[in-house]
Amino acid sequence: MEYKYIGKPLPRPDAISKATGKAIYLDDIRIPGMLYAAILSPEYAHAKIINIDTSSAEKMPGVVKVVTGKDCCIRYGDNIADQTPMAVDKVRYAGEPVAAVVAETLEQANAAVEKIKVEYEPLLVYTDAREAMKEDAVLIHEHQEEYKRLPTLKCIPDTNVANYYRLIKGKGEEGFEEADVVVEGEFNYPIGSAAAMEPHGSIVWFKEDQSIECWSSSVCPFIIRQELAHTFDMPVSEVRVHIPEIGGSFGYKSDITVEITIAWIASFVPGRPVKWVATRREDFTSTLSGHGIRTFMKLGAKKNGKLVAIKSKILHSGGAFAETPVNVTITATHNSGGPYEYEHCFMEGYTVYTNTTPVGAFRGYGHPESQFATERLMDMLARKLDMDPFKFREVNYLREGSIVASGEKMWKTNGDVQAAAKKIQEAIFDGDKPEEDEDYYYGRGFAALSKAPKGATFSTKGCYMKMNIDGSVSINMGGAEQGQGLRTVVKQVAAEALQIPPEKIHCYTEIDTQFSPYEWQTIGSMFTVQGGRAVIRAANKLIAILKKTASQVLKADEDMLDYNGEYVYLRNDPSIKVAVKDLARGYITSDGITIGEIAQASADARLPRYSNPDPETGQGTLGVEYTFGAQGAQIRVEKKTGKVIVDHFASSFDIGRVINPLQARGTVLGGVLMGIGAALHEELIYDEQGHQKNPHYGRYRIPKMRDIPPKSTVDFIENPGAVGPYGARGIGEHPFLAVVPAILNAIYDATGIDFYEIPITPEKMKQALADRKENA
Amino acid sequence: MLIEFKVNAKQYKMDVCPTMRLLDLLREELRLTGTKEGCGEGECGSCTVIMEGKAVNSCLVLAPQICGKEIITVEGLADDRELDLLQQKFMEHSAVECGFCTPGMLMSAKALLMKNPHPTDEEIRTAIAGNLCRCAGYSKIVAAIKDAADA
Ligand code: FES
Ligand code: FES
Repeated sequence: MEYKYIGKPLPRPDAISKATGKAIYLDDIRIPGMLYAAILSPEYAHAKIINIDTSSAEKMPGVVKVVTGKDCCIRYGDNIADQTPMAVDKVRYAGEPVAAVVAETLEQANAAVEKIKVEYEPLLVYTDAREAMKEDAVLIHEHQEEYKRLPTLKCIPDTNVANYYRLIKGKGEEGFEEADVVVEGEFNYPIGSAAAMEPHGSIVWFKEDQSIECWSSSVCPFIIRQELAHTFDMPVSEVRVHIPEIGGSFGYKSDITVEITIAWIASFVPGRPVKWVATRREDFTSTLSGHGIRTFMKLGAKKNGKLVAIKSKILHSGGAFAETPVNVTITATHNSGGPYEYEHCFMEGYTVYTNTTPVGAFRGYGHPESQFATERLMDMLARKLDMDPFKFREVNYLREGSIVASGEKMWKTNGDVQAAAKKIQEAIFDGDKPEEDEDYYYGRGFAALSKAPKGATFSTKGCYMKMNIDGSVSINMGGAEQGQGLRTVVKQVAAEALQIPPEKIHCYTEIDTQFSPYEWQTIGSMFTVQGGRAVIRAANKLIAILKKTASQVLKADEDMLDYNGEYVYLRNDPSIKVAVKDLARGYITSDGITIGEIAQASADARLPRYSNPDPETGQGTLGVEYTFGAQGAQIRVEKKTGKVIVDHFASSFDIGRVINPLQARGTVLGGVLMGIGAALHEELIYDEQGHQKNPHYGRYRIPKMRDIPPKSTVDFIENPGAVGPYGARGIGEHPFLAVVPAILNAIYDATGIDFYEIPITPEKMKQALADRKENA
Repeated sequence: MLIEFKVNAKQYKMDVCPTMRLLDLLREELRLTGTKEGCGEGECGSCTVIMEGKAVNSCLVLAPQICGKEIITVEGLADDRELDLLQQKFMEHSAVECGFCTPGMLMSAKALLMKNPHPTDEEIRTAIAGNLCRCAGYSKIVAAIKDAADA
C-alpha cells in the first residue's frame, strides 16, 4: 500500500522552540511566591538516625522551614510500597533525603542545609546483591513482609530479597539431560546512570483551595497525580500535574521518584510553591540509577546445534528501595533467553535490597543486561560445537510458531530476526577482516536481540481529537516527549488516518492532567505502538461522526459515503458532496438550523490480552509486542594502550513500518553510541562505604562526539506488526540492546579474550592482554 | 557591585553580587532561560554563551568578569522572525532531539562560524568537543553545522 505521510522525513514540530531557547523545561518555570528547597544527604549509606538538630539551620537568613522525616508515616509505591519521602529513623543509601530546608532563595537554602546536624549509628553497608544475600546479612528493611505489594510479588522474609520470580517452561532444569554440549558463565552489567542532560526536578504547591499543583520533569504525570492524591488523602481530581519539555529521560524519569519527597517538603509550607532541581551530583546520587544486574547463565544444545535448555539466575542489586527495580528484574529474567527458542527453561530473578541508589528503568529495562550473557554464551557455545555462529543461531531463532519462555507463541507479525541478522552479516562480515599489525588487533562481533515491553496490564494511552471549523485538527494526548520525537509520529499517523496534510494537524505540547487524556506512563518504546493505535481509533470515530452528519446533508445512507480528508461524498457520484469543514461543528443548514454532532473523538489503546505472570510457572502473555533485531561491530584494539576503537557499527531492526526514517535513524545512532559508552567506559562506582566515587560527567564519562564510529550502518526491515499503526513497532530502547555483546564478541575475535564484565576500559584491556601473554 | 555589560545587543547596568555566576545572571535576573544548566561544573557545555566572540561556559564565569563585555545568548541568535541559518540547519537535519544541549551546541557553533565561516570537519568537531549530548545526536549536529557553513 502507498502511504502519503507515513515513511516521510517530516521535521519535528518542537525543534523550533528548542532551537530558539523558548522551550520551557522544569527549571525555567518560576511561579510567584515560589520557594526553593535544598536537601541533605546522609554521611552514611546505612545507619540509624539518632538525632537531627535543625536549630542552627532554622536561624539562617531566608529560611522558611526545615523539614525532616520525623513522624512521617507515608509509604508509597505501586508494586512494593517500601518508599518513604524522607528517611525515617534510618538511612538506607547515601543519596537518601534526610532533611530539607525551604528558603526564599536557593542560595539561602543551600547555606542553611549545611547547618543541620545529624547523629548516626552506622550499620554494615552492602553495595552488591551477593553480599546483601549472605545469611547473616543485616536487614536493610527490617519488616519488609509488612509492606503492601502486588499479589504477584513475593519477598523472602528475614532476608534482603525483596522479590523472587521464577519461570519454568517444559522440564525446567531437567531439560539439560537432553543436551550434548553445555556452556555457562557469570556476567556482570554494573550500575550506570541515564545521566540525561537535564537533571530531574519538581515543583509542588499545596494551594489554599485544598488542591495540589505539581510540575515535574517526569514521564508519568498520571502516576504522580494518583500517588499525590493517595498520599495526601484527597480526590485525584484535586491534583493537577504539568509536564513541561523534558531534557532526556531514557527511562529514569519514569515511575514516581522525587515528587513525593518534594510534596512532603512543600506540605509544610502550604500556600507556597516549592521548587527543587537536582544538581548534577544529586541526579546521580538521589534519582534513579540503571542496570546493576549479574547474570548466571547456562545453555545446553544438541550436537546438531539445536538449543534445548536454558538456566538463568538474575541477581539484581536493586538499591535501597525495590519499588522501581522489581519489574526490571522480572523482565530481565523472562527475556534472558534472547531471540531463541528453548524447549526447557528455568529462570530465576532476585531483586535484592542494597545500600545503593535505587535502580529504575534505563533503556531496555532488563533486556540488555541479561541478553549480554545470552549473546556472549551463544558465541561460546558455537565455538564448543565448532559451528559457524551465524548458522548456529539460525537453527535456533524464534520464528513463526516458536514458543518463547513465557509460553507466548510467535506470529509472523512479530517480525523476522533472521532477516535482521543477514543484514548485519552482509554489512560487517563480508570479506576478510584486516590482519593483525604492529599496532592493532582487529575483530568483528555479532549479537541478536529481542525486546518485549513491560508495563502495567492496564497500561493504556489516550487520545482526544477534535476537528476545527476550518477542517484542521487538534490532537491532545498524555505521552511525554523526551526527545524521542513522538509529536512527529502523532502528526504523521493522524495525517495518514485522516488524509489531512500534517500542516493542518496540531499536536499538543505540554501535558496537564487537567486537560490531557490518561496515559499510564511513556515508557518501554510503546508510544508509537499504543499511542499510534489510539490516534487511528480516534480518527476512525471522528470520520464516522462526519459521515453521520453528512448522511443527513446528502440524504444518503452512511455506508454509501466516502471520505477523503476534504469532502464526504457519495461513492457512486462524487459530485454529491459536502466539505468536511462544514461538518466540523455540525452542519448549519440554509435557515440556520444546525444538525449533527461536533467532530471530536476520544480513544485509547492497550496491548491486547497483556497479562500478569502465572504465580506457579511465571508464564503469561508478558510481551505481546516483540521486536527483533541484530547488531554487529568491527573493532580495533590498540596494543600499546588497550584502547578499543569501534570502526564500524551496524544495526538492523524489524520495526514493522518506519513512520519517520530521519528520526528512526537518529534514534538508532544515539542508542548505539550510548551502548558504546556502556561497553567501554560507563560505570557508576561505589566505594565500600556506599558512596558514589564518580557522580559527575568528568568521571562518569558519557560518549562524546569523538566516540562516534567512523562508519555506521542502519537498516530497517518492515514486516508489519499487528498492533501498531500501519504495522509500526517501537525503536526507542532497541539500538542500545545488543551493542555490549556485539563489541565483546568482537574483542574475543580480535584478541581471544573472553570478557564477562563491562566496561572494557583501556586499563582492563591492557591488563588482560598482559595476563594472556603470561599464561601463553 | 555595579557592572555594565551588553547582552544580545542590549546595554545593561546592574548591581550584582560579585559571586553570582553569569549563568544565574542570565537565567534568573534577565530571565533568559534559553541557556541551560546541565552540570554547573564546566563539564557539559549546555550553558555555553558567546562572550566577546568566544564560546564560554557561563557556569564558570562570574558576574564581575563580564564588566564592559558583550554577551550573546541563544535568544540573540534569531533576528526577530528571521532564524539564524544554524538554527534552520539544526531543524532540517533533525539535530534537535530533547533539545537540552541545543542552545549550548548552537552557541559553540556560532562562535566558530563568527571567526571561521568555512571550517573543516575537524574544526567543527573541535569547536563542539566540550558540548555533551546524551541523546547522542552528534553526527547530525556536525552535519547541520557543516551545512550552515557551506551555505
Ligand atoms: S552547566 Fe556549565 S558546563 Fe555544564
Ligand atoms: S538533544 Fe538531548 S541532549 Fe542533545
